Amino acid sequence: MKKQLAFAIALAFAASGAMAQEKTIRISGFGAKSGPVRSFGVNSEAAMLAAADVINKAGGVKLADGSKAKIVVDFFDDRCNAEEGISVVRRIAGSDALVAVGPTCSNVAEPLFGILQKKVGDASDSGLQFPVFTDVAIKVGLARISEWAFRNVPNEMTMYSSVFYWLSTTRPDLKTVYGGVEEDFAHSRATWHVVMKNRAQANNFNVVGESKWLLADTNFATQVREMKKANADVIAISAHPFSMCGALKEMARQGVKPKVLVGLTSSSSLETLQGCAKQAQGMIIPTSFAPVNKDGKFAAQTTAKFKGAADLHSMAAWENMFILKNVMESEGITGKDLQGDRRKIRDGLAKLKTTAGLMGVTKRTDDREADKPYLFVQAKGNEWVVLHNPL
Amino acid sequence: MLDVLQAASDGLLFGATYALIGIGFTLVFGVMHKINMAYAAASVGGAYAGLLVLQVAAGAPPWLVFLAAFAAGGLLGWLVYLACFHFIPLANPLATLMSTVGMLLLIDEVIVHATEGMPLSYPAMFDDVMLRAGELTLRGDLLLVFGISVLAMIALLLLLYRTRLGLATRAVSQQPVAAQLCGIRLVRVNALTFVVTGLLGGLAGALIGASVGALSPLLTTPLTVKGLIVTVIGGLGSIPGAIIAGLLVGGFESVLQMFRGVTERDLYVMLLLFVFLIFRPGGIFAGSASRD
Repeated sequence: MKKQLAFAIALAFAASGAMAQEKTIRISGFGAKSGPVRSFGVNSEAAMLAAADVINKAGGVKLADGSKAKIVVDFFDDRCNAEEGISVVRRIAGSDALVAVGPTCSNVAEPLFGILQKKVGDASDSGLQFPVFTDVAIKVGLARISEWAFRNVPNEMTMYSSVFYWLSTTRPDLKTVYGGVEEDFAHSRATWHVVMKNRAQANNFNVVGESKWLLADTNFATQVREMKKANADVIAISAHPFSMCGALKEMARQGVKPKVLVGLTSSSSLETLQGCAKQAQGMIIPTSFAPVNKDGKFAAQTTAKFKGAADLHSMAAWENMFILKNVMESEGITGKDLQGDRRKIRDGLAKLKTTAGLMGVTKRTDDREADKPYLFVQAKGNEWVVLHNPL
Repeated sequence: MLDVLQAASDGLLFGATYALIGIGFTLVFGVMHKINMAYAAASVGGAYAGLLVLQVAAGAPPWLVFLAAFAAGGLLGWLVYLACFHFIPLANPLATLMSTVGMLLLIDEVIVHATEGMPLSYPAMFDDVMLRAGELTLRGDLLLVFGISVLAMIALLLLLYRTRLGLATRAVSQQPVAAQLCGIRLVRVNALTFVVTGLLGGLAGALIGASVGALSPLLTTPLTVKGLIVTVIGGLGSIPGAIIAGLLVGGFESVLQMFRGVTERDLYVMLLLFVFLIFRPGGIFAGSASRD
């Protein structure tokens, strides 16, 4: 009995010694985990944890000295609030985290990137020297604010250009477009005014008008009446699920039936189908993720084990983890010099011309944005099904 | 002209939902002279609770969901009373204000965590009915909301003026100390006021969910703001005032939205509030000399 006890104690000591020697690399996620967009943060966190689990089970990250380190993920709630987001990133930068992945909301990303150092190596700029690799916040052109900011979000300009080109070539009967826009949300507003409208016109559609509403609006009667009067062939709705569902239900009441309905990238999610599957039937949305191949299915299943749903945003967080692992290994992270390693991460991300994504190869642009592969999905029954792969 | 009439009628009908929320605010203020900031959130919470019926019995008729929301609203009203008023010193005007603001945030966050913030489809009655009056169209579901608001007002007035509970409630609202000396149990009357307004709130939440077609935690703050505006314009403590102010605010914002766009709409609603605060601070049913 004494021998067994002594053996157990020795084993425990040996195990604790091994544990003490295990190196770790911290990657901090941040995004909305409270408030109406909580699901985005929950899904991103789950995807990051799932990806880290896969990486760690495969041995972890190889450091410059040849040793291996496990990835540790933590996640902070910024409540989709700019002040909170800035505060969270300052806190993360004050910790031993090598890089941050986030945020959820563009209204957080924009001011947050503003507190980062604009140009690398500019001694006169006291901005934060900390790499941020965004998975969700999608408003056009944000990464150019700072050389420490990187994004792996779909390029809406390319995607909607493709949607309207495809519509113009396959449906020559479609001539006019009318917009419905959620005017008080950075992403939806920019997507209509800067992207959808512009891309529709570039593909020879006549934009005959637009109706505006707010994120928390409950009455869409006047806007839909304007829509009805315009009698456009295509109605493009740039709004998040709650107000989009309100508008779609009002369209059904007033008998507004466009030939084609186009939706906002972020709305190709479960939220829309939970809110108004019946009214959203047939809606076409370009997206950078659908679980259509082996890798996509594996990522979705693994994320589900961590209680998250796979969509274009959370799967970007999954991809970010693998991209960061590759950069850490290619740049020779030491695990000892935190600021030096952060700089290596930044430089490594900046060097990338392509990255491997779940849907194929993603091109990286000079202004640190992604040009991701995409396809068009359509609401059918209670799910989003692939309608067309333009690539 | 037809467009203006249509916008006004849309807004007036939708204003019935504001009126229902305004009634809850005004009744609590009338009895306790306190503002229950958590009222709209509890109403939305009651409406969400009503959806549990669909989880137990998929395909249940909408009226059953509304009934469950009605009951859940009453329960939530009682809980709000217990948490924010019963154990809080009522003499301090800020204490209950802050406790109900805290409750608003708490209910909001509970809804967000329970639903992950996702909008949920809400069953509606008569949502496919559109009545036509010449060129004008009127939504059947909003007419139902309007009718229920009027019925709720009548029921509340009957409760206040034709029952012993109403007599006790009015006594407490006018002279709480004298009411207690007459044997009226102050705590019971206050708690019942919250239950009654909660019942109404649950129903209001369900009707709002039905008229929008979906529920979201996004609704709580705008409904709180609109409810307070309606309460002030209608006159603190006046139930008919809340109804009329709800309709007025609904119609006003709809017409202004048509002329000035959605981004300026709320600006004019706030201006309307300021106009009332300056020229008629006691609200629609106040005497003209009520200022100061």
